[in-house]
Amino acid sequence: MVSHLRQRPSSVRMIDEPLKPDLVLVLTYLVISAIGLLMVYSATAPRLEARGLDPAAELRSQAIWVVLGFIVFAVASTINLVELKGFTGPIYIGAVFLLVLVFPLGESDGIAQRWIDLGRIQFQPSEFAKIAVILMIASVLSAASTPLKWHVVARVIAVVGVPIALIFFQPDLGTSLVFAFVTLAMLFVGGATMRQLGFLFVATVIATVGVFQLDVIEDYQVTRLTAFLDAESQSLDVVYNQVQSEIAIGSGGLFGKGLFEGTQTNLQFVPVQSSDFIFTAVGEQFGFIGSVIVIGLFGLMLFRLLMIASRARSRFAFLVTSGIAAMIGFHVFVNIGMTIRIMPVTGLPLPFMSAGGTVFVALSAALGLAHSAWIRRNSPVGSD
Amino acid sequence: MTNPSRLGVVGVFFAVLLSVLGLRLWSMQVTNANAYEERAANQQVKVVNTPAPRGDIISADGVKLAGTRSALAIVVDLALIDEDDIPALAENLAAFLDESASDIVEQLSGSNRGAQVRIATDISSSQATFILEHRDDFPGVAVIPQPVRTYPLGDLAAHVLGYIGRPNEEDLLRDDVKPNDFVGRAGVERSYDVVLQGAEGIIQYQVDARRKVLSLSAEAPPTSGNSLVLTIDSKLQAQLQDSLRDGLIQARSLEMKERDVELSETTRTQRIEDALVEARAEALEILAEELEEQTSDLGVDDNDVEPDVGPVTVDVAKVLGPLSPLLPIDSNGVCVPVQRVSIPIEGTGILSGVQQRVVRFESVRAEGDDFVATISLSGERSNVKRNGWVDEAREVLQVLHVSEDEIILLHKDRWCPVRATGVVIDPNDGSVLAMSSFPTYDPTVFVDGLSDDQWATLSTVSAFQNFAVQGQYAPASTFKVVPYVLALEESYYPIDRGSGDKVIDVAEDDSEEVQQLPLLSDTDGYFCGGEFRFPLNDGTFQTKRDWKWPGSLGVLDLHGALEASCDLYFWDLALRLWHERFDDSGIDKENLLQSWARSFGFGTSTGIDLPFERSGLIPDSTWFKDEQRKGTGRVRPDGGWVGGDLMDIAVGQGAVLVTPLQLANGFAAMVNGGTVWKPRVVSQVIDSEGNVVETNPRAIVSRVNLDERTVRLLLQDLQQVVNNQKRGTARGAFKNFGPNVELVGGKTGTGEIIKNDERFRQVDDALFVGVAPINRPKWVVSVIIERGGFGGEVAAPVARQVLQFLLNGPESVTVLAPGLAAD
Repeated sequence: MVSHLRQRPSSVRMIDEPLKPDLVLVLTYLVISAIGLLMVYSATAPRLEARGLDPAAELRSQAIWVVLGFIVFAVASTINLVELKGFTGPIYIGAVFLLVLVFPLGESDGIAQRWIDLGRIQFQPSEFAKIAVILMIASVLSAASTPLKWHVVARVIAVVGVPIALIFFQPDLGTSLVFAFVTLAMLFVGGATMRQLGFLFVATVIATVGVFQLDVIEDYQVTRLTAFLDAESQSLDVVYNQVQSEIAIGSGGLFGKGLFEGTQTNLQFVPVQSSDFIFTAVGEQFGFIGSVIVIGLFGLMLFRLLMIASRARSRFAFLVTSGIAAMIGFHVFVNIGMTIRIMPVTGLPLPFMSAGGTVFVALSAALGLAHSAWIRRNSPVGSD
Repeated sequence: MTNPSRLGVVGVFFAVLLSVLGLRLWSMQVTNANAYEERAANQQVKVVNTPAPRGDIISADGVKLAGTRSALAIVVDLALIDEDDIPALAENLAAFLDESASDIVEQLSGSNRGAQVRIATDISSSQATFILEHRDDFPGVAVIPQPVRTYPLGDLAAHVLGYIGRPNEEDLLRDDVKPNDFVGRAGVERSYDVVLQGAEGIIQYQVDARRKVLSLSAEAPPTSGNSLVLTIDSKLQAQLQDSLRDGLIQARSLEMKERDVELSETTRTQRIEDALVEARAEALEILAEELEEQTSDLGVDDNDVEPDVGPVTVDVAKVLGPLSPLLPIDSNGVCVPVQRVSIPIEGTGILSGVQQRVVRFESVRAEGDDFVATISLSGERSNVKRNGWVDEAREVLQVLHVSEDEIILLHKDRWCPVRATGVVIDPNDGSVLAMSSFPTYDPTVFVDGLSDDQWATLSTVSAFQNFAVQGQYAPASTFKVVPYVLALEESYYPIDRGSGDKVIDVAEDDSEEVQQLPLLSDTDGYFCGGEFRFPLNDGTFQTKRDWKWPGSLGVLDLHGALEASCDLYFWDLALRLWHERFDDSGIDKENLLQSWARSFGFGTSTGIDLPFERSGLIPDSTWFKDEQRKGTGRVRPDGGWVGGDLMDIAVGQGAVLVTPLQLANGFAAMVNGGTVWKPRVVSQVIDSEGNVVETNPRAIVSRVNLDERTVRLLLQDLQQVVNNQKRGTARGAFKNFGPNVELVGGKTGTGEIIKNDERFRQVDDALFVGVAPINRPKWVVSVIIERGGFGGEVAAPVARQVLQFLLNGPESVTVLAPGLAAD
């Protein structure tokens, strides 16, 4: 199958056009990150101040991560995906190895184990595993002819199955669902037949139901996942989070209460606001208008990612970019959906906005890889 | 490459997902924003209410009976301290207030975070200063002003005032009442609670998610409640209370004298003889009936048979009334209605009495939810449970409470005068000028908090209840004014029985087929003998005896019958109503007497502005039949409603019940010419500046059309009850009244409440209703002394003192002395 994208001779392109960044993508990324920093500050300053601490402390540490993320993004933008393809195997194995490390060694964070403690900073291997899996699946699928054979689908499932199993027992249901969604999306654009997709969809549903039914996961997780359906029974802490989040956003109204004027935010009614519930800061302070602008920015980012995918010069790059778009889109929907109580509490962060180092850096890397596909959209294919 | 159109599908899919977010946000932030804003605002404030001072209660003569003073309370604001500081703070407070630290810890940690917890209510100003000077030792502690109810004159008019306390479930249904408020629980404190309450002040704080106070956001001071002006005159009230107390004490000492007489040797002999005579008479009667059956069967002339009942025996122990020496007495040797004895396990208690007894609480064991206690009384051992009697036969010692370590016994004297209740009203507008019942209480005890002991002492004698409106009594002979008015208004008099023997035997009259003609006027004489025998529905006979029996009052007309309180006259009148109940007059004679009683307000609540008023009871034919059908045990189970029942009603006995207030109000209606007023204790509501906010004007309940002559004659005869030196039943009590005694009228009554049995003799309630000045009545006084004895002897002297006070002034009140032992 030959794409219309490769009509012009690649040699001409290489000579004629310098490596041009996708300004729209870069700008959305920067604006969202900047809004994210502002929101983290507005959500954390009152809390820190109340405890007599430096109100900018959290902002400062997050800003370091953001700067680091920018660098990673810039570096990743220069990576030649064709060259990277050769390393997908080792990257994948390395990621799985890190997940195995978390398995027995992980620091217990409340109840869930997701972190590796590296002295001063904590590292969340599952964030990088997402990228490794996307690369690995893209690698498998790019080598296969379409429509996909069943054995290819089986290999993809094997590739994603190992990290899902490891992450699931951390346990981190949200990330497992990210893997499932990304895999389905990549198989879909990668040329799987509707029958294969239907089979996988049913299998995923059965597996999810089975998990609930067989008591594989802890009760608290079930509670977290189902609590949003009945938020009026406010006795549960989980429900309290979501109800407070909903009140914060709802009370923002059309135009919001104004920056630093959010009463729910300032009075610390929303727990873990700077990380999982950062969108409440947007909703309360900037209201419907601000919320829609932020969602619009994400929409623009996703639109650009899909655009890049459609112009990718190789099937590998196409699949990687699609996978990254699927991953970011899923995070955005599930996270914001959680804060407005149409999705369960899964602990998925809002990309580029939630406070948290690993997440920001990992997603920046992913976005950078997609960006590199744009920059090199006209480069020669090489040994594809 | 792959399928780019599938990429478009993914794009559309994301567009849909993001639109879903947008729509949900629209519904939250645009459509329902107000609801969310409200929820946010509500959880961000903390409201502290500052109590409003209650309004005052002022007597008609301007004396403050209930007021409010500002006290200092200690509160701990949990929002201002950390949980870890609680133990240390509790320790300091405990040392300062001399209380237990663990109690304070419990109070503090049992409350919501951010709540203000009241630790002490009424501290001295030096204590307050100490706290303020040692802020560091008392973190989060504030001293705040707190209104406290005061009753400057103690127990004066306590039953009218009532008391305040924490709200019960029913009170909490009111919008304006919260669990920590004080609400009126009795008296005008209760019935006018909304008026007295005022409006709470509000202090509103901004708080964070941890309920920590950040700033003051709004403040509104409390508005004090409005004040009540009563119709009660404080001096008259004081006189009534003194007289009631003295009256009860006098009744008790008279009771003790009677018991002394009973215990004397001559009385013993006399009582045994009386009992023997009675037993013989009973046996004879039975024998006579048997013989009559036999003779009528055999056709033998009954004169030939000599009745012989043989030797008759009586139980001497029972006849002698061995009970009196065992009944409880106080330190003066006077009877008390109840003595509460609490005994720890394996301890002993003393039962007071002429013969003191020792009770020992030996052991206790659980039986189901109950405890069974083993106690020994004067060496005799028995097992008892809660509410059981230690002495079944005598019913003197009852178990109130048993637990593992304590038993509480009630040592009861059910024959000792227990209570004196009195009401003074103005018959021209229904104003209550004084109202009291003794034993009484000081409402302040409810403000300070009542100790268990205080509560037990006062509640075992029902001191908190206002018996003037809650007590229901047989009105006895005071009720004779009702058939009296009926007789005059309807020109309806009893049958002329001639002037025969001591005994009126209606059966004999019947058998001789004498034409039964009624008396023709109120001045026609009637022979008021001592005994009245009449047939019942089923052909059997009933005998009723006048209070004067075995004496006789001689020939009396209607006026004399009222003045001397002749039962027979009114019984016969009722019996005539009974016999004519099916005649063709078109009048419901079966219920004529009752409808006259009702027209003066008997049988229904008067509607006074006091809580818990009871309605009394005027039983009619329907009531009797209903009670019999339901088998309530208040009337005979069978045989229907008989003439005897109607006769009982005529003299205020049987099932008739009235409250002391109804009695005064009914008399008021008769003497004022027929106007039934709605009694009231509050005349005005005024605000804190003294401006009248509301008036409670006099109100008519109903009007009875009374002939002017009826009223005039009634007043005349009431005056004679007091002033007729030959036969007036209250003449003894008013002997030393001083000037203006001729302006006084009244009616005595003696209500039989406990019939004599083998344990004790008959016990009566003593009643008196006084009216003055008789030419133009301004006051009606009703007095009831529960288990007091004769109305003329015990109740009338109490009313006499009150009327002396009213007619001749405070200095003219003479020492209380018993009147004549007359009904």
